[in-house]
Amino acid sequence: MSGADWLSYSLQDFVMFGPQVFLRLFVRINQDFWPWPLLAVLASFAVPLLLLDNRPATRRIALGLIAAAWMTSGYGFLVGYFGPINWPAAGFGWAFVAQGVVLGLIALAGAPRSLQARNRVLAVVWALAVVGLPWLTVAESGNWRALALFGLAPGSTAAASMLIVGLLPGIWRWLYLALPLAWGLFSAATFWTLQTWWLLGLPVATLILVGLGFWLSPSRAQSPG
Amino acid sequence: MALDRRRFLMGAGLAGLALRAPLLFAGPSSGPESSAITRKIPGTDEAIPAIGMGTWITFNVGGDAALIGQRTEVLKTFFELGGTVVDGSPMYGSASDVVGEALVSLNARDRVFAATKIWTSDESATQQEAERSLKRWNVDQFDLLQVHNLRGWQGHLESLRAMKQNGEVRYIGITTSHGRRHREFAQIMEREPIDFVQLTYNVLDREAETRLLPLAREKGIAVIVNRPFQGGSLFRRFQSRPLPVWAGEAGVSNWAEFFLKYIISHPAVTCAIPATTKVEHMKENMGALYGELPDPEQRRRMADYVRSL
Repeated sequence: MSGADWLSYSLQDFVMFGPQVFLRLFVRINQDFWPWPLLAVLASFAVPLLLLDNRPATRRIALGLIAAAWMTSGYGFLVGYFGPINWPAAGFGWAFVAQGVVLGLIALAGAPRSLQARNRVLAVVWALAVVGLPWLTVAESGNWRALALFGLAPGSTAAASMLIVGLLPGIWRWLYLALPLAWGLFSAATFWTLQTWWLLGLPVATLILVGLGFWLSPSRAQSPG
Repeated sequence: MALDRRRFLMGAGLAGLALRAPLLFAGPSSGPESSAITRKIPGTDEAIPAIGMGTWITFNVGGDAALIGQRTEVLKTFFELGGTVVDGSPMYGSASDVVGEALVSLNARDRVFAATKIWTSDESATQQEAERSLKRWNVDQFDLLQVHNLRGWQGHLESLRAMKQNGEVRYIGITTSHGRRHREFAQIMEREPIDFVQLTYNVLDREAETRLLPLAREKGIAVIVNRPFQGGSLFRRFQSRPLPVWAGEAGVSNWAEFFLKYIISHPAVTCAIPATTKVEHMKENMGALYGELPDPEQRRRMADYVRSL
Protein backbone atom coordinates (compact mmCIF):
# COMPACT_ATOMS: atom_id res chain seq x y z
CA MET A 1 0.00 0.00 0.00
CA SER A 2 1.29 3.43 -0.90
CA GLY A 3 1.72 6.32 1.50
CA ALA A 4 -1.26 8.06 -0.04
CA ASP A 5 -3.39 4.99 0.67
CA TRP A 6 -2.36 4.95 4.31
CA LEU A 7 -3.23 8.62 4.56
CA SER A 8 -6.73 7.84 3.34
CA TYR A 9 -7.36 5.76 6.47
CA SER A 10 -8.81 7.34 9.57
CA LEU A 11 -8.54 6.26 13.21
CA GLN A 12 -12.02 4.78 12.88
CA ASP A 13 -10.72 2.28 10.34
CA PHE A 14 -8.44 0.75 12.96
CA VAL A 15 -10.97 0.51 15.79
CA MET A 16 -12.98 -2.58 14.94
CA PHE A 17 -15.23 -2.77 17.98
CA GLY A 18 -17.92 -0.62 19.54
CA PRO A 19 -18.00 1.15 22.92
CA GLN A 20 -20.58 -1.27 24.32
CA VAL A 21 -18.34 -4.27 23.68
CA PHE A 22 -15.30 -2.51 25.13
CA LEU A 23 -17.03 -1.34 28.31
CA ARG A 24 -18.46 -4.79 28.90
CA LEU A 25 -14.89 -6.13 29.09
CA PHE A 26 -14.60 -4.51 32.54
CA VAL A 27 -17.92 -5.99 33.66
CA ARG A 28 -16.93 -9.41 32.39
CA ILE A 29 -13.48 -9.54 33.98
CA ASN A 30 -14.89 -8.39 37.35
CA GLN A 31 -17.63 -11.03 37.17
CA ASP A 32 -15.50 -13.85 35.80
CA PHE A 33 -12.79 -13.48 38.44
CA TRP A 34 -15.03 -12.72 41.40
CA PRO A 35 -14.08 -12.61 44.30
CA TRP A 36 -10.47 -11.97 43.21
CA PRO A 37 -11.22 -8.31 42.38
CA LEU A 38 -11.54 -7.83 46.15
CA LEU A 39 -7.95 -8.98 46.49
CA ALA A 40 -6.93 -6.45 43.83
CA VAL A 41 -8.61 -3.69 45.85
CA LEU A 42 -6.81 -4.81 49.00
CA ALA A 43 -3.50 -4.92 47.15
CA SER A 44 -4.03 -1.46 45.70
CA PHE A 45 -4.45 -0.03 49.22
CA ALA A 46 -1.60 -2.09 50.62
CA VAL A 47 0.93 -0.53 48.23
CA PRO A 48 1.03 2.97 49.77
CA LEU A 49 0.96 1.55 53.30
CA LEU A 50 3.95 -0.63 52.50
CA LEU A 51 5.78 2.27 50.88
CA LEU A 52 5.26 4.36 54.00
CA ASP A 53 7.25 1.80 55.93
CA ASN A 54 10.96 2.59 56.08
CA ARG A 55 12.01 -1.05 56.15
CA PRO A 56 13.48 -2.08 52.75
CA ALA A 57 11.72 -5.44 52.78
CA THR A 58 8.23 -3.94 52.94
CA ARG A 59 9.04 -1.47 50.17
CA ARG A 60 10.20 -4.39 48.06
CA ILE A 61 6.88 -6.11 48.68
CA ALA A 62 5.11 -2.93 47.51
CA LEU A 63 7.13 -2.97 44.30
CA GLY A 64 6.34 -6.67 43.94
CA LEU A 65 2.61 -5.96 44.20
CA ILE A 66 2.86 -3.30 41.51
CA ALA A 67 4.81 -5.76 39.34
CA ALA A 68 2.06 -8.34 39.83
CA ALA A 69 -0.55 -5.74 38.90
CA TRP A 70 1.21 -5.09 35.58
CA MET A 71 1.27 -8.82 34.86
CA THR A 72 -2.32 -9.59 35.84
CA SER A 73 -3.80 -6.61 33.99
CA GLY A 74 -1.62 -7.39 30.97
CA TYR A 75 -2.28 -11.09 30.75
CA GLY A 76 -5.80 -11.08 32.18
CA PHE A 77 -7.42 -8.04 30.61
CA LEU A 78 -5.32 -7.27 27.55
CA VAL A 79 -4.38 -10.74 26.33
CA GLY A 80 -7.43 -12.60 27.59
CA TYR A 81 -10.27 -10.16 27.08
CA PHE A 82 -9.26 -7.21 24.91
CA GLY A 83 -6.97 -9.10 22.50
CA PRO A 84 -9.73 -11.17 20.86
CA ILE A 85 -11.54 -8.04 19.69
CA ASN A 86 -8.50 -5.86 19.02
CA TRP A 87 -5.29 -7.63 18.01
CA PRO A 88 -2.82 -4.84 18.98
CA ALA A 89 -4.12 -5.13 22.56
CA ALA A 90 -2.66 -8.62 22.89
CA GLY A 91 0.78 -7.23 21.99
CA PHE A 92 0.40 -4.56 24.62
CA GLY A 93 -0.69 -7.28 27.04
CA TRP A 94 2.55 -9.19 26.65
CA ALA A 95 4.48 -5.92 27.00
CA PHE A 96 2.62 -5.32 30.30
CA VAL A 97 3.68 -8.80 31.44
CA ALA A 98 7.31 -8.04 30.51
CA GLN A 99 7.10 -4.71 32.36
CA GLY A 100 5.87 -6.59 35.43
CA VAL A 101 8.68 -9.12 35.18
CA VAL A 102 11.31 -6.40 34.95
CA LEU A 103 9.76 -4.53 37.88
CA GLY A 104 9.73 -7.76 39.86
CA LEU A 105 13.41 -8.30 39.12
CA ILE A 106 14.17 -4.75 40.25
CA ALA A 107 12.30 -5.49 43.48
CA LEU A 108 14.34 -8.66 43.96
CA ALA A 109 17.58 -6.81 43.28
CA GLY A 110 16.99 -4.14 45.91
CA ALA A 111 14.45 -2.01 47.71
CA PRO A 112 13.05 1.08 46.03
CA ARG A 113 14.26 4.34 47.43
CA SER A 114 12.34 5.94 50.25
CA LEU A 115 10.60 9.23 49.65
CA GLN A 116 10.95 10.11 53.30
CA ALA A 117 9.21 13.43 53.85
CA ARG A 118 7.02 13.02 50.79
CA ASN A 119 5.97 9.48 51.48
CA ARG A 120 2.67 10.65 52.87
CA VAL A 121 1.94 12.77 49.81
CA LEU A 122 2.55 9.76 47.59
CA ALA A 123 0.30 7.61 49.77
CA VAL A 124 -2.55 10.12 49.57
CA VAL A 125 -2.22 10.63 45.81
CA TRP A 126 -1.98 6.86 45.28
CA ALA A 127 -5.13 6.30 47.32
CA LEU A 128 -6.96 9.01 45.38
CA ALA A 129 -5.86 7.43 42.09
CA VAL A 130 -6.91 3.85 42.90
CA VAL A 131 -10.20 5.08 44.37
CA GLY A 132 -11.05 7.61 41.67
CA LEU A 133 -9.79 6.19 38.36
CA PRO A 134 -11.91 2.98 38.43
CA TRP A 135 -15.06 5.09 38.31
CA LEU A 136 -14.29 6.57 34.89
CA THR A 137 -15.50 3.38 33.20
CA VAL A 138 -18.56 3.43 35.49
CA ALA A 139 -19.31 7.01 34.49
CA GLU A 140 -18.98 6.07 30.83
CA SER A 141 -21.04 2.88 30.95
CA GLY A 142 -23.55 3.72 33.66
CA ASN A 143 -22.84 0.32 35.18
CA TRP A 144 -21.04 0.17 38.55
CA ARG A 145 -19.91 -3.37 37.78
CA ALA A 146 -17.63 -1.89 35.10
CA LEU A 147 -15.16 -0.63 37.74
CA ALA A 148 -11.67 -0.47 36.22
CA LEU A 149 -9.75 -1.79 39.20
CA PHE A 150 -6.01 -1.43 39.77
CA GLY A 151 -4.40 -4.77 38.99
CA LEU A 152 -7.16 -5.82 36.61
CA ALA A 153 -7.68 -2.86 34.29
CA PRO A 154 -4.60 -1.69 32.37
CA GLY A 155 -5.46 2.03 32.36
CA SER A 156 -5.84 2.34 36.13
CA THR A 157 -2.81 0.13 36.70
CA ALA A 158 -0.54 2.08 34.35
CA ALA A 159 -1.71 5.46 35.69
CA ALA A 160 -1.35 4.72 39.41
CA SER A 161 1.96 2.93 38.87
CA MET A 162 3.48 6.11 37.49
CA LEU A 163 3.68 7.50 40.99
CA ILE A 164 6.62 5.25 41.82
CA VAL A 165 8.70 6.26 38.81
CA GLY A 166 10.90 8.40 41.01
CA LEU A 167 11.66 5.45 43.29
CA LEU A 168 13.29 3.41 40.55
CA PRO A 169 17.05 3.38 40.12
CA GLY A 170 18.87 5.25 37.32
CA ILE A 171 18.03 4.31 33.77
CA TRP A 172 15.17 2.04 34.86
CA ARG A 173 12.88 4.94 35.59
CA TRP A 174 13.12 6.09 31.97
CA LEU A 175 12.65 2.59 30.59
CA TYR A 176 9.68 2.19 32.94
CA LEU A 177 7.97 5.17 31.26
CA ALA A 178 8.08 3.92 27.68
CA LEU A 179 5.23 1.40 27.88
CA PRO A 180 2.74 3.49 29.88
CA LEU A 181 3.27 6.42 27.54
CA ALA A 182 2.79 4.21 24.46
CA TRP A 183 -0.27 2.64 26.06
CA GLY A 184 -1.60 6.08 26.98
CA LEU A 185 -1.26 7.24 23.39
CA PHE A 186 -2.88 4.08 22.03
CA SER A 187 -5.77 4.17 24.48
CA ALA A 188 -6.31 7.92 24.01
CA ALA A 189 -6.65 7.36 20.24
CA THR A 190 -9.02 4.46 20.89
CA PHE A 191 -11.21 6.37 23.34
CA TRP A 192 -11.28 9.41 21.08
CA THR A 193 -12.47 7.26 18.17
CA LEU A 194 -15.05 5.48 20.31
CA GLN A 195 -16.16 8.90 21.64
CA THR A 196 -15.96 7.54 25.19
CA TRP A 197 -15.00 10.91 26.64
CA TRP A 198 -14.89 9.89 30.31
CA LEU A 199 -12.26 7.27 29.51
CA LEU A 200 -9.90 9.92 28.18
CA GLY A 201 -9.36 10.67 31.86
CA LEU A 202 -7.18 7.55 32.07
CA PRO A 203 -4.39 8.62 29.68
CA VAL A 204 -4.64 12.18 30.98
CA ALA A 205 -4.26 10.89 34.55
CA THR A 206 -1.26 8.82 33.44
CA LEU A 207 0.52 11.95 32.21
CA ILE A 208 -0.34 13.91 35.36
CA LEU A 209 0.84 11.08 37.59
CA VAL A 210 4.11 10.81 35.65
CA GLY A 211 4.71 14.46 36.51
CA LEU A 212 3.80 13.87 40.13
CA GLY A 213 6.00 10.78 40.22
CA PHE A 214 9.03 12.84 39.23
CA TRP A 215 8.06 15.67 41.53
CA LEU A 216 7.98 13.18 44.38
CA SER A 217 11.33 11.64 43.47
CA PRO A 218 13.85 11.32 46.36
CA SER A 219 16.44 13.62 44.81
CA ARG A 220 13.94 16.41 44.78
CA ALA A 221 12.41 15.56 48.11
CA GLN A 222 15.81 15.54 49.70
CA SER A 223 17.13 18.66 48.04
CA PRO A 224 17.61 21.59 50.38
CA GLY A 225 15.15 24.39 50.33
CA MET B 1 -23.51 -32.28 -5.25
CA ALA B 2 -22.87 -29.87 -2.41
CA LEU B 3 -23.25 -26.94 -4.77
CA ASP B 4 -26.52 -28.21 -6.13
CA ARG B 5 -27.87 -28.77 -2.66
CA ARG B 6 -26.91 -25.31 -1.58
CA ARG B 7 -28.46 -23.74 -4.65
CA PHE B 8 -31.57 -25.79 -4.20
CA LEU B 9 -31.88 -24.73 -0.59
CA MET B 10 -31.37 -21.08 -1.43
CA GLY B 11 -33.91 -21.20 -4.21
CA ALA B 12 -36.37 -23.05 -2.01
CA GLY B 13 -35.76 -20.53 0.73
CA LEU B 14 -36.49 -17.61 -1.52
CA ALA B 15 -39.60 -19.25 -2.95
CA GLY B 16 -40.82 -20.07 0.52
CA LEU B 17 -40.09 -16.58 1.64
CA ALA B 18 -42.19 -15.13 -1.13
CA LEU B 19 -45.13 -17.19 0.10
CA ARG B 20 -44.53 -16.38 3.74
CA ALA B 21 -43.68 -12.72 3.30
CA PRO B 22 -47.03 -11.37 4.52
CA LEU B 23 -46.64 -13.28 7.77
CA LEU B 24 -42.95 -12.74 8.26
CA PHE B 25 -42.82 -9.16 7.32
CA ALA B 26 -45.24 -6.80 8.91
CA GLY B 27 -43.09 -3.77 8.14
CA PRO B 28 -44.71 -0.49 7.29
CA SER B 29 -43.79 -0.40 3.64
CA SER B 30 -44.46 -3.95 2.60
CA GLY B 31 -47.66 -4.75 0.92
CA PRO B 32 -49.30 -8.07 1.60
CA GLU B 33 -48.22 -9.36 -1.79
CA SER B 34 -44.64 -8.22 -1.54
CA SER B 35 -41.84 -10.68 -2.13
CA ALA B 36 -38.16 -10.29 -1.50
CA ILE B 37 -36.19 -8.23 -4.00
CA THR B 38 -33.48 -10.41 -5.47
CA ARG B 39 -30.71 -9.85 -7.98
CA LYS B 40 -29.16 -12.36 -10.32
CA ILE B 41 -25.46 -12.95 -10.11
CA PRO B 42 -24.38 -12.02 -13.64
CA GLY B 43 -23.62 -14.98 -15.87
CA THR B 44 -25.58 -17.39 -13.66
CA ASP B 45 -29.17 -18.30 -12.91
CA GLU B 46 -28.61 -17.79 -9.24
CA ALA B 47 -30.39 -14.93 -7.51
CA ILE B 48 -29.54 -13.54 -4.08
CA PRO B 49 -31.54 -11.18 -1.85
CA ALA B 50 -30.59 -7.56 -2.48
CA ILE B 51 -30.05 -6.87 1.21
CA GLY B 52 -27.31 -8.78 3.00
CA MET B 53 -25.51 -8.26 6.29
CA GLY B 54 -22.05 -6.93 7.10
CA THR B 55 -20.21 -7.83 10.30
CA TRP B 56 -17.55 -5.10 10.62
CA ILE B 57 -17.51 -3.91 14.25
CA THR B 58 -21.01 -5.23 14.97
CA PHE B 59 -20.14 -8.93 15.35
CA ASN B 60 -16.73 -8.42 16.96
CA VAL B 61 -17.83 -9.12 20.53
CA GLY B 62 -15.07 -11.51 21.62
CA GLY B 63 -16.10 -14.20 24.08
CA ASP B 64 -18.96 -12.18 25.56
CA ALA B 65 -21.67 -14.84 25.89
CA ALA B 66 -24.46 -12.30 26.42
CA LEU B 67 -23.53 -10.32 23.32
CA ILE B 68 -23.01 -13.48 21.24
CA GLY B 69 -26.56 -14.48 22.14
CA GLN B 70 -27.84 -11.03 21.24
CA ARG B 71 -26.01 -11.00 17.89
CA THR B 72 -27.41 -14.48 17.22
CA GLU B 73 -30.88 -12.93 17.56
CA VAL B 74 -29.88 -10.28 15.02
CA LEU B 75 -28.77 -12.99 12.58
CA LYS B 76 -31.91 -15.00 13.25
CA THR B 77 -34.05 -11.96 12.40
CA PHE B 78 -32.00 -11.45 9.25
CA PHE B 79 -32.69 -15.00 8.08
CA GLU B 80 -36.35 -14.86 9.06
CA LEU B 81 -36.84 -11.73 6.99
CA GLY B 82 -35.30 -13.26 3.90
CA GLY B 83 -31.59 -12.47 4.13
CA THR B 84 -28.88 -14.91 3.07
CA VAL B 85 -25.69 -12.96 2.24
CA VAL B 86 -23.38 -12.50 5.26
CA ASP B 87 -20.04 -10.82 4.70
CA GLY B 88 -17.00 -10.91 6.96
CA SER B 89 -13.23 -10.78 7.03
CA PRO B 90 -10.42 -12.22 9.15
CA MET B 91 -9.57 -8.58 9.82
CA TYR B 92 -12.73 -8.08 11.88
CA GLY B 93 -11.39 -9.50 15.13
CA SER B 94 -13.67 -12.19 16.53
CA ALA B 95 -16.55 -11.50 14.11
CA SER B 96 -15.95 -14.70 12.10
CA ASP B 97 -16.05 -16.83 15.26
CA VAL B 98 -19.24 -15.13 16.43
CA VAL B 99 -20.93 -15.65 13.07
CA GLY B 100 -19.81 -19.28 13.12
CA GLU B 101 -21.20 -19.82 16.61
CA ALA B 102 -24.48 -18.14 15.66
CA LEU B 103 -24.82 -20.23 12.48
CA VAL B 104 -24.44 -23.41 14.52
CA SER B 105 -26.91 -22.38 17.21
CA LEU B 106 -29.43 -21.31 14.53
CA ASN B 107 -28.75 -24.47 12.55
CA ALA B 108 -28.39 -22.14 9.58
CA ARG B 109 -25.14 -23.24 7.96
CA ASP B 110 -27.00 -24.24 4.80
CA ARG B 111 -29.07 -21.06 4.69
CA VAL B 112 -26.21 -18.60 4.54
CA PHE B 113 -24.50 -17.23 1.45
CA ALA B 114 -21.12 -17.13 3.17
CA ALA B 115 -18.79 -14.39 1.95
CA THR B 116 -15.45 -13.61 3.51
CA LYS B 117 -12.13 -12.18 2.50
CA ILE B 118 -8.50 -13.08 2.17
CA TRP B 119 -6.59 -10.61 4.33
CA THR B 120 -2.90 -11.31 4.35
CA SER B 121 0.07 -9.81 2.55
CA ASP B 122 1.50 -13.34 2.12
CA GLU B 123 0.30 -14.08 -1.39
CA SER B 124 1.10 -17.77 -1.03
CA ALA B 125 -1.18 -18.19 2.00
CA THR B 126 -4.55 -17.88 0.24
CA GLN B 127 -5.65 -21.45 0.81
CA GLN B 128 -4.49 -21.55 4.44
CA GLU B 129 -6.33 -18.31 5.19
CA ALA B 130 -9.49 -19.66 3.58
CA GLU B 131 -9.24 -22.90 5.56
CA ARG B 132 -8.80 -21.00 8.82
CA SER B 133 -11.90 -18.96 7.99
CA LEU B 134 -13.89 -22.11 7.17
CA LYS B 135 -13.23 -23.42 10.67
CA ARG B 136 -14.16 -20.11 12.25
CA TRP B 137 -17.41 -19.83 10.27
CA ASN B 138 -18.30 -23.50 10.82
CA VAL B 139 -19.22 -23.90 7.15
CA ASP B 140 -18.11 -26.52 4.65
CA GLN B 141 -17.50 -24.09 1.83
CA PHE B 142 -17.51 -20.37 1.15
CA ASP B 143 -19.83 -19.07 -1.53
CA LEU B 144 -17.60 -16.07 -2.10
CA LEU B 145 -13.96 -15.33 -1.32
CA GLN B 146 -12.72 -11.80 -1.91
CA VAL B 147 -9.29 -10.20 -1.79
CA HIS B 148 -9.60 -7.67 1.03
CA ASN B 149 -8.77 -4.11 -0.04
CA LEU B 150 -6.60 -5.46 -2.89
CA ARG B 151 -3.99 -6.65 -0.36
CA GLY B 152 -1.65 -8.94 -2.28
CA TRP B 153 -4.28 -9.28 -5.00
CA GLN B 154 -2.12 -10.75 -7.76
CA GLY B 155 -1.10 -13.87 -5.88
CA HIS B 156 -4.41 -14.27 -4.11
CA LEU B 157 -6.51 -13.98 -7.27
CA GLU B 158 -4.39 -16.60 -8.98
CA SER B 159 -4.91 -18.98 -6.06
CA LEU B 160 -8.61 -18.16 -5.82
CA ARG B 161 -9.08 -18.96 -9.51
CA ALA B 162 -7.49 -22.36 -8.91
CA MET B 163 -9.68 -22.92 -5.85
CA LYS B 164 -12.77 -22.04 -7.88
CA GLN B 165 -11.77 -24.48 -10.61
CA ASN B 166 -11.35 -27.18 -7.99
CA GLY B 167 -14.79 -26.47 -6.59
CA GLU B 168 -13.44 -25.17 -3.28
CA VAL B 169 -15.25 -21.84 -3.65
CA ARG B 170 -18.15 -20.82 -5.85
CA TYR B 171 -17.34 -17.18 -6.58
CA ILE B 172 -14.29 -14.96 -6.27
CA GLY B 173 -13.84 -11.22 -6.10
CA ILE B 174 -12.04 -8.15 -4.82
CA THR B 175 -12.99 -5.42 -2.36
CA THR B 176 -12.29 -1.82 -1.59
CA SER B 177 -13.90 0.71 0.71
CA HIS B 178 -14.06 4.45 1.34
CA GLY B 179 -13.36 5.09 -2.36
CA ARG B 180 -9.75 3.89 -2.16
CA ARG B 181 -7.66 2.75 -5.14
CA HIS B 182 -10.53 2.98 -7.62
CA ARG B 183 -8.18 3.29 -10.59
CA GLU B 184 -6.37 0.04 -9.81
CA PHE B 185 -9.68 -1.54 -8.88
CA ALA B 186 -11.09 -0.69 -12.32
CA GLN B 187 -8.01 -2.09 -14.04
CA ILE B 188 -8.48 -5.40 -12.26
CA MET B 189 -12.16 -5.46 -13.20
CA GLU B 190 -11.20 -4.92 -16.83
CA ARG B 191 -8.47 -7.56 -16.98
CA GLU B 192 -9.24 -10.29 -14.47
CA PRO B 193 -12.04 -12.87 -14.59
CA ILE B 194 -13.81 -12.13 -11.30
CA ASP B 195 -17.40 -12.73 -10.24
CA PHE B 196 -17.89 -10.07 -7.56
CA VAL B 197 -16.60 -6.69 -6.54
CA GLN B 198 -17.30 -5.02 -3.22
CA LEU B 199 -17.11 -1.26 -2.92
CA THR B 200 -18.45 1.71 -1.00
CA TYR B 201 -21.54 3.39 -2.40
CA ASN B 202 -24.30 5.38 -0.73
CA VAL B 203 -26.47 8.40 -1.29
CA LEU B 204 -23.56 10.72 -0.42
CA ASP B 205 -20.53 8.68 -1.58
CA ARG B 206 -21.38 8.33 -5.24
CA GLU B 207 -17.96 8.18 -6.90
CA ALA B 208 -18.63 4.57 -7.95
CA GLU B 209 -21.41 5.78 -10.26
CA THR B 210 -18.98 7.35 -12.68
CA ARG B 211 -16.71 4.39 -13.45
CA LEU B 212 -16.96 1.25 -11.31
CA LEU B 213 -20.69 0.58 -11.43
CA PRO B 214 -20.99 1.04 -15.23
CA LEU B 215 -17.89 -1.12 -15.65
CA ALA B 216 -19.40 -3.86 -13.48
CA ARG B 217 -22.49 -3.92 -15.71
CA GLU B 218 -20.37 -3.97 -18.85
CA LYS B 219 -18.18 -6.81 -17.59
CA GLY B 220 -20.98 -8.81 -15.96
CA ILE B 221 -19.62 -8.55 -12.43
CA ALA B 222 -21.86 -8.69 -9.37
CA VAL B 223 -21.56 -5.73 -6.98
CA ILE B 224 -21.76 -5.86 -3.18
CA VAL B 225 -22.05 -2.44 -1.57
CA ASN B 226 -20.41 -1.78 1.79
CA ARG B 227 -20.86 1.21 4.11
CA PRO B 228 -24.41 1.86 2.86
CA PHE B 229 -25.03 4.11 5.88
CA GLN B 230 -21.54 5.65 5.71
CA GLY B 231 -20.62 3.90 8.95
CA GLY B 232 -23.82 5.18 10.61
CA SER B 233 -23.11 8.82 9.93
CA LEU B 234 -26.05 9.11 7.52
CA PHE B 235 -28.41 8.38 10.41
CA ARG B 236 -26.61 10.79 12.71
CA ARG B 237 -26.93 13.52 10.09
CA PHE B 238 -30.40 12.95 8.72
CA GLN B 239 -32.66 10.83 10.88
CA SER B 240 -33.91 13.82 12.86
CA ARG B 241 -35.04 15.36 9.56
CA PRO B 242 -38.33 14.45 7.87
CA LEU B 243 -38.49 12.09 4.93
CA PRO B 244 -39.62 13.82 1.74
CA VAL B 245 -43.40 13.86 1.31
CA TRP B 246 -43.03 11.76 -1.84
CA ALA B 247 -41.01 9.02 -0.06
CA GLY B 248 -43.96 6.62 -0.08
CA GLU B 249 -44.11 6.78 -3.88
CA ALA B 250 -40.51 5.52 -3.95
CA GLY B 251 -41.39 2.60 -1.66
CA VAL B 252 -39.71 4.21 1.34
CA SER B 253 -41.15 4.47 4.85
CA ASN B 254 -38.08 5.21 7.00
CA TRP B 255 -34.51 6.44 6.61
CA ALA B 256 -33.01 2.95 6.55
CA GLU B 257 -35.17 2.08 3.55
CA PHE B 258 -34.38 5.46 1.99
CA PHE B 259 -30.61 4.85 2.12
CA LEU B 260 -30.78 1.17 1.15
CA LYS B 261 -33.33 1.45 -1.62
CA TYR B 262 -31.32 4.23 -3.17
CA ILE B 263 -28.42 1.79 -3.41
CA ILE B 264 -30.15 -1.39 -4.55
CA SER B 265 -32.19 0.46 -7.15
CA HIS B 266 -29.01 1.14 -9.07
CA PRO B 267 -29.09 -1.40 -11.91
CA ALA B 268 -25.48 -2.51 -11.38
CA VAL B 269 -25.88 -3.26 -7.67
CA THR B 270 -26.46 -6.85 -6.63
CA CYS B 271 -26.57 -6.55 -2.86
CA ALA B 272 -26.02 -4.01 -0.07
CA ILE B 273 -24.61 -5.19 3.27
CA PRO B 274 -25.66 -2.93 6.15
CA ALA B 275 -24.41 -3.91 9.61
CA THR B 276 -26.25 -3.53 12.88
CA THR B 277 -26.18 -4.69 16.49
CA LYS B 278 -29.91 -4.37 17.10
CA VAL B 279 -32.83 -6.57 16.12
CA GLU B 280 -35.06 -3.52 15.61
CA HIS B 281 -32.56 -1.96 13.22
CA MET B 282 -32.24 -5.27 11.37
CA LYS B 283 -36.01 -5.25 10.85
CA GLU B 284 -35.80 -1.73 9.47
CA ASN B 285 -32.93 -2.68 7.18
CA MET B 286 -34.76 -5.72 5.88
CA GLY B 287 -37.74 -3.52 5.09
CA ALA B 288 -35.72 -2.39 2.08
CA LEU B 289 -35.89 -5.94 0.73
CA TYR B 290 -39.59 -5.55 0.03
CA GLY B 291 -41.97 -3.27 -1.79
CA GLU B 292 -41.38 -0.81 -4.60
CA LEU B 293 -38.00 0.51 -5.62
CA PRO B 294 -37.40 4.09 -6.71
CA ASP B 295 -37.18 4.71 -10.44
CA PRO B 296 -34.32 6.73 -11.98
CA GLU B 297 -36.16 10.02 -11.58
CA GLN B 298 -36.99 9.24 -7.97
CA ARG B 299 -33.36 8.29 -7.33
CA ARG B 300 -32.28 11.68 -8.63
CA ARG B 301 -34.78 13.36 -6.31
CA MET B 302 -33.52 11.28 -3.36
CA ALA B 303 -29.94 12.40 -3.93
CA ASP B 304 -31.06 16.02 -4.38
CA TYR B 305 -33.16 15.89 -1.24
CA VAL B 306 -30.31 14.61 0.94
CA ARG B 307 -27.98 17.25 -0.48
CA SER B 308 -30.56 19.92 0.32
CA LEU B 309 -30.74 19.02 4.02
